[in-house]
Formats: sequence, structure tokens, C-alpha cells
Amino acid sequence: MRVQWGRPPGLRGSPLTRLAEAGQGAGRGQGRPPHNLYRNVIGWAVFSLLVLLAGCGRHTTQAAGKRMIVLGVDGMDPIFLENHWSSLPNLNRLRTEGDFRRLATTIPPQSPVAWSTVTTGMDPGGHGIYDFVHRNPATRLPMQSMTEITEATKTFSIGPYVFPLAGGGIRQTRAGRAFWQILGEHGIPSNVIRMPANFPPAECEAESLSGMGTPDLTGTNGTFLFFTDDPLETRNGGAAGKLVPVKLQNGRAVLPIEGPPNSLRKDHASTSVNLIMYPDPLNPVARFDLGDQQVVLKQGEWSDWLHADFHLIAFKGASGIFRIYLQQVHPNVRVYVSPVNLDPEDPALPISTPANYSRTLSEKMGPFYTQGIAEETAAYRAGLFSRAEFLSQSHKILADSLRMFHYQLESFREGLLFYYFSSVDQNAHMLWGKHDDDLLEIYKGVDTAVGEAMRAAQNGATLMIISDHGFARFDRSVHLNKVLMDAGFLTLDDPANVGDDAAFVHVDWSKTQAYALGLNAIYLNLEGRENGGSVSGFDKQTVLDEIARKLLAYKDPVNGENVIDKVYFSATAYHGRNLKYAPDILVGFRRGYRASWQTALGAVPKVPLEDNTEAWIGDHCMASDEVPGVLLSNRKIAAGAPGLADIPVTILSGFGLQKTTGMIGQTVF
Amino acid sequence: MDLLNAAINLPLSWFYAAFSWAPPVLGLSVISIVVGIGMLWVFGKTSNQVSMKAVKRKVYASLLELRVFADEPAVTWRAQKSLFTANFRYMGLALRPALVMLVPVALLLIHMEAFYVRAPLPLGREAVVTMAVNGAGVTDAELKTPAAVAVETPPVHITEQRQISWRIRPASAGTAQLQFTVGGQPVTKTIATGDGRGFVPGRAVSGALAAVWDPDEKRIPSAAVEWIDVRYPEASIEIFGLHLNWLLWFILVSMAAALLLKKRFGVVL
Repeated sequence: MRVQWGRPPGLRGSPLTRLAEAGQGAGRGQGRPPHNLYRNVIGWAVFSLLVLLAGCGRHTTQAAGKRMIVLGVDGMDPIFLENHWSSLPNLNRLRTEGDFRRLATTIPPQSPVAWSTVTTGMDPGGHGIYDFVHRNPATRLPMQSMTEITEATKTFSIGPYVFPLAGGGIRQTRAGRAFWQILGEHGIPSNVIRMPANFPPAECEAESLSGMGTPDLTGTNGTFLFFTDDPLETRNGGAAGKLVPVKLQNGRAVLPIEGPPNSLRKDHASTSVNLIMYPDPLNPVARFDLGDQQVVLKQGEWSDWLHADFHLIAFKGASGIFRIYLQQVHPNVRVYVSPVNLDPEDPALPISTPANYSRTLSEKMGPFYTQGIAEETAAYRAGLFSRAEFLSQSHKILADSLRMFHYQLESFREGLLFYYFSSVDQNAHMLWGKHDDDLLEIYKGVDTAVGEAMRAAQNGATLMIISDHGFARFDRSVHLNKVLMDAGFLTLDDPANVGDDAAFVHVDWSKTQAYALGLNAIYLNLEGRENGGSVSGFDKQTVLDEIARKLLAYKDPVNGENVIDKVYFSATAYHGRNLKYAPDILVGFRRGYRASWQTALGAVPKVPLEDNTEAWIGDHCMASDEVPGVLLSNRKIAAGAPGLADIPVTILSGFGLQKTTGMIGQTVF
Repeated sequence: MDLLNAAINLPLSWFYAAFSWAPPVLGLSVISIVVGIGMLWVFGKTSNQVSMKAVKRKVYASLLELRVFADEPAVTWRAQKSLFTANFRYMGLALRPALVMLVPVALLLIHMEAFYVRAPLPLGREAVVTMAVNGAGVTDAELKTPAAVAVETPPVHITEQRQISWRIRPASAGTAQLQFTVGGQPVTKTIATGDGRGFVPGRAVSGALAAVWDPDEKRIPSAAVEWIDVRYPEASIEIFGLHLNWLLWFILVSMAAALLLKKRFGVVL
């Protein structure tokens, strides 16, 4: 249909002018608007309706009833699937009726990197995300890779308060356009729920909810609180938790729940609300009061969501939701409080498009986890949760996720539905290779979602199940900085200063050629880039080659086997040139080996290798070939060796769209 | 007190039942209109309408003076003073009808809370029941529920506040009697469950004065119990897709009714 963008016949002047003219006429004593006003109004209404319908027609043409469902299952492993087809009936049926392939992952095989490739169709050289953390070349300290927070450039102060007038905010650092933005530009509706590395959510017409990378209300990736009056408790909360001692007085304990720092105060004073706990003197049960909310829990029970409003200034607060787990009542009180999630009903930060979509979801299905990674691996790693407790929380998250998936599927009519599950990945980290039965229960949960999706896709819709990477055991921790030190590439101010101190505090940069930060990354201490860099541009490739040679030759002193399978140079590994934060070398470990937690934070411990004794026993930050993901579909897959970058191209192709500039993949069908 | 409460609750229940087929906003609107008309009538009967008319004329005169003599400071000042005085006089004249209406309207609003403030306990969702006891020594309270309501926890004794709490979970819709035994004496509390609307009794109390504020159930006969409360979800009135506080709607509609009908009733407001 061709739309005539001229004036409708018989109409002269703007409708407002004509209405005003008619109004003047009425004011001059004509009891009612003149007859031609009605005609004009009706004419305009019909014209507007036609324009609207024409617009709608144009928007629906591209979708034309086409439907595609894509389930992103973080960390779903092809070998685990192959070993458990009989326990996963829906996934098994999908591969027999459709197809199943290993899906090549990114370099490095880390979730933010991989899902950014799924989002944009680019490799890290295009989208610019290389790790969970990047390093600031000026300071060599880690910084957030997925988001950037900037302070207000103009402010207005009154007493202790400061009000932003201009600038400031939070933005996504990923480059490239998301595939759902491209779909939206062609009028194809999409729902993209919990896509990782999409916080704040990319501006689009789609209904989207941010996923991994979404902080809690305090601005961290999730900080839990653990309250106890046990004087013998010496553990701390680890990197992502706080152990808070409390006192029981007059049969009650006050548990301060930390909120966000008050950005409207000059001192950024922290906010809090008091949760009051009343343990029964004899029974293993307690009541918790928060304002006018009350909850009674037995020992070992989780609460539903509690709402907290953290006061910032008169009439303005930050709204959060959290859950309580009553671990123990007697003889000592032990209470876990989850990270305070952004309240989807009134989020303090943007978590959805349109902005009120999270509220709509909350009204339909009640409060839900908004924190990017909600599985409480941190409390388990800190020894504050048992495996059973970790699993009970994990299953709550999975149930929450399945509930939302069910709702999305019920309301899905046409276009694209993308839905992301985090549970397999987070549980595999804690269960892989040792507790396969527990992990299988999580896989079974996802299998039920696949069954639902298969039913919804029966009428000709395309269904794809994808994972960003697989999994492997993490038996040995590699202290990459100590490896570099032993190989002569990194020098300390005193060799005796080896230890777990983070942020390279004892490194002598004048004598250091390379350093490791993050989980797969080595950076040259490059002149002109690093502050006080020591490697000249001329020597760069020579040093890189020398490091690569030594890393590939490096052997585990315990078993004499190679530790590193592959070494990639970012200058040649990627297509794009968005290399600002790219490491110079990406280390591809063999299965069983991974960079240590100390390496991730810039420490130089005493030994180059040690056993991984933590609860975190599975990982995927290895050589990409070692940990491929999966691709299952209800259609036959033509591609022999599909990769993550093929997924967005396949989605666009499914709606008759060509891939856009920078996309490196091909359709898999 | 129980008799008075029953006398108010009963007609309200009939009225509510008569509109049970319609959205709650309809019944609320009708009762608001009726109350608005009632207040208008009382205002007309209990206020000095002659003085009211005179003082309103004075107000209009002062306003006119302010407009006409805007460039005469002395006149403007006198008009302001006169306006101020007339306003005070108006408020004084309105005081008597306001005082007359205060108690019945307040009682009515308190009783209406059972219909419009609280929503029944949703099925399958937990709720906390709390009993406040008189005397610190009362600790042997026991709760028994019908099969439709599960008691999920042992009692939590909160000595400091002389309270005992339980967690319950309703499984079927309707009303149910929670049966407590406190110090050997039986005590009951009615709860409403389900996803519909209706009479949702609030706190049950033992004191006569407390029963003015919490009039939904007969007073608790045991002196050992001060009150029994159930945490209900909040109800709201839906009007054109918007969720409004019922009291706001009540005030708007009753005032609109009174203002629209004042001429027909010959009442000066």
C-alpha cells in the first residue's frame, strides 16, 4: 500500500487551527460547533486511522506470522548431554527429530564475551568485550568490562545534598547493534529476556529484560549478608558477601540490611533498613519484621520476597527486594540475607525496555530475581552454605526462571522470543564432575522448558537451543603471573614479596614485560600504552612470540603434562579492530587447568601451580576448542561446524533479513 | 459495643451482598453517593443556613471588591481583611454540622474497611497470624485450624511484645475459623480466603474501646488475649484500569454528590 503523505482532500490549514477557528465561531454565540467541524474532525480521524493502519501493516509485513524461539542455556555441555540423553527426554527428542551440533565458542570462552557475540554477530574484535574484567592501561587495575559509570558533570548542592543537573549515568560498553535492534528496525517484534551483557538494556522497540551484568541495588554483582551471634564464627563472606555479627537482646536481634550508597549526599553515606528478628526461645522458628511486613520461618526455610525502601531524600527512595534464609536458630542465630535485588516494580536502574516492562512482568507474576547472576555460589564458596543449601537456592532461581519462561511462552504470538537460563552454568561450576546427579536435576529443569518450547513451536516455528560454552573440571589453579615471573617476564621489587596481594602491588614495572589479569588474559607492559611501559613497539612481536613459546612448553611439575593448549594473539585472532581493551595474549588452558582467582586480581603467589581446593570445581575458561557449546534445533542444521557468531545471522535470516556490516557468521540452516 | 458494631455491619453486609454481582467500585460509588446525600441533609439541618448564606455573600462581595478596586490599596486591604474574617466565620458555621457528622461517618468508614481495605488471603500463599496476650506469663497458646488452612510452623513466642505468631497457608476459598486455646480457654478468629472480594474481618480484640477501632468481629471473651491479627494483602479499587485507594474514591464521589445536589436539597454549602 502506498501512503499519500499529503493533506486529505478538502482540508485546509492545520487541524488545530481549524478547531480554534471553529471554537471562535462557537464563542460568538453559535450554540454548537459548525457542522463542517464535525466533518473535519471525522476526516482527520479517518485519515489518522488509515496512516496508523498503514504503519501497522508495514510493521507486520516482515514478521508475517513467522515465529522463532531461541533458548540460551549458559554452560550446557555437549558431552554431558550425550551422556544423559535418556534422562532428558525433550532434548533427546529434539535432537532426533531435529538436529544437534557442537557450537564453537569464542576466544576466550567466557559468558560475557560469548553472549556479546551472539548479540552482535561479531567476535570480541568487533564488540569489544574480552573478559568479565578489563584492565585500565593507565593503572593496570581491573575495571568492569560490560558497563561504564560516569559521574554527573554539573551538580547543584544544598547542605549535605548534591543534585545532578547534567551528565552522569551508566552505559553499556559493548559495541555493535544487537540483533533484536535490527529486527525492530524492520518491524519484527521480539522479546529478549535476560540476555547477558545487556545492561543497561540496549534501546529498542523489543520487550527486553537485562541479564548477566545487572547489579544488585548496592551496585555490586551481588553482595549477600550473613548474620550470626556465634562468637566462634571466624569465616568471612568472601569476595561477594559480608559476615555481620549481631547481638540478641531482649529476645530480638536487629539485622541492618545495607542499601545503595546515597548518591544524593556529598558523602555518599550508605543507606539501610532494619530487619528485626524474633527467634522463639525454644522452637527452631523465628519471626522477621520489616516495617509492616512479617514473615515466620522455620529453621532451614526460605522466605518469599520482602520489599525494602531505602531512604535517599524526602519523597525519594530506592526500592529493593530480598529473601531471607533461616539457617539456624539455636544455639546460635545464623541468618542469610540475599543481595538486595532491584525491585522490578520500581527499578532504581534501567533493567528493561520499555522502561515499565519489568513492572508489567512483576504485576503479572510477582517479584522475581533481577540480579544478573543470582545463584549463591559465593556463600557456598565461603563455606557458609552447604551443598544442599546452595542447591535449594539454585532450584528456587530455576523455578523463578521457568515461571517467567512459561509466562513469556504463553504470551508469545509472533516474531522472536529469546530466553536465557543461567542455572546450568552456575550449578556446573559447583557440581561438575563430582555431583553429576545434582547437576542432572538442573538439566532436567531446563529439559521441561525445552518440552514447553517444542510444543509452542509445533506450528512451524523455528526452535533453537544454544549454549555459549561447555564445561570441564577445574583441578589445577595456574598462577599465571608466577609463571611469567619464573619465565623472566615479570619482576617483583623483591622476590620474597610473592603472595596473594592483589593489584600487582610488588611488581617492578621497569623490569616487567608482561602481566596477567582476568581469567585468560596476558598484557604486555607496552610503551606508550601502559603507564611507564617497558616493551617498545618494535620489540612487541618478539616478546609475544617468546611468551607464547614458553607458555606452550610449560608443563605441570606434578604430572609432566602440558598446561596450556593454545595461545592466541588478539592482533590476529579477531576480525574487528575494536582492540582498545584486548589482551595481547589469550591463554587457552588444557581441560583441568584454569587461571587462579589470584591471577584474576593481579596477584603473584608463591607457586606457579596448585590444586584447586575450592568449592568452585568446574569451569570453561580454557582453550576454546576444549569447551564448545551446543546447538539443537527442530530443523536440520546444514552447517558442519557452526559457531556462536552464526546465531544472530541465522535469526535475521529466519525473518528474511541479511546480516549487517561487521557480522562474521553464516546461517546454520 | 458488639451490638452497635453488629448494627452497622449487618446493613453494610446486606448492601455489599446486593452488589456482589458488580465490580466493587459500583457498590462503593453507590454508598458514597448515599453518604454524600446524607451528609448534605445533615448539613442543611444542623447548620445555620441563613448565616451561611450571609457569610457566603460577604465572601463574594469581598472577592468582587478585590477585583474592582485592585488599584486602591486601602480598599484592597479592607477587602482582604473582610475575606479573611468571612472565611473564619464560614468555618465556624460549618463546625457544628462537622461535629455532628464526625462520629457516624468515622464509624461508617471504620466498618467499611472490612469490605474495601483488605483482600482475602490468597490460596497457597502464606500469612502470619499473631496473638497478643495480656500478661507475660501466657505462653501455652495453641492454634488449631480447619483442614482448609494449614498451620506451617510452631508458635514463635515474642516475650518482649507479649505476642505469639504462627504461619498459616489457606488451601480453599471461603471463611474459616482459627481456633486457639489460651490458658485453657477457647478463642476463635475468623479469616477470609480466596481470590474474590467480600467481608474480610481485621483484628479481633477483647477490649471495649479497642472494639471501636476494630469492629469486625465479636469481642474476644478471654481476658488473657488482647488481640488476634492476620496480615492480609491490601485491596484496591480498580477504575478504568487504575488502582485507586478506596477512601479517595469515597471522598471524591460523596463530595461530588453533595455539590451536585445541594440546590435540589436547598442547602447552602
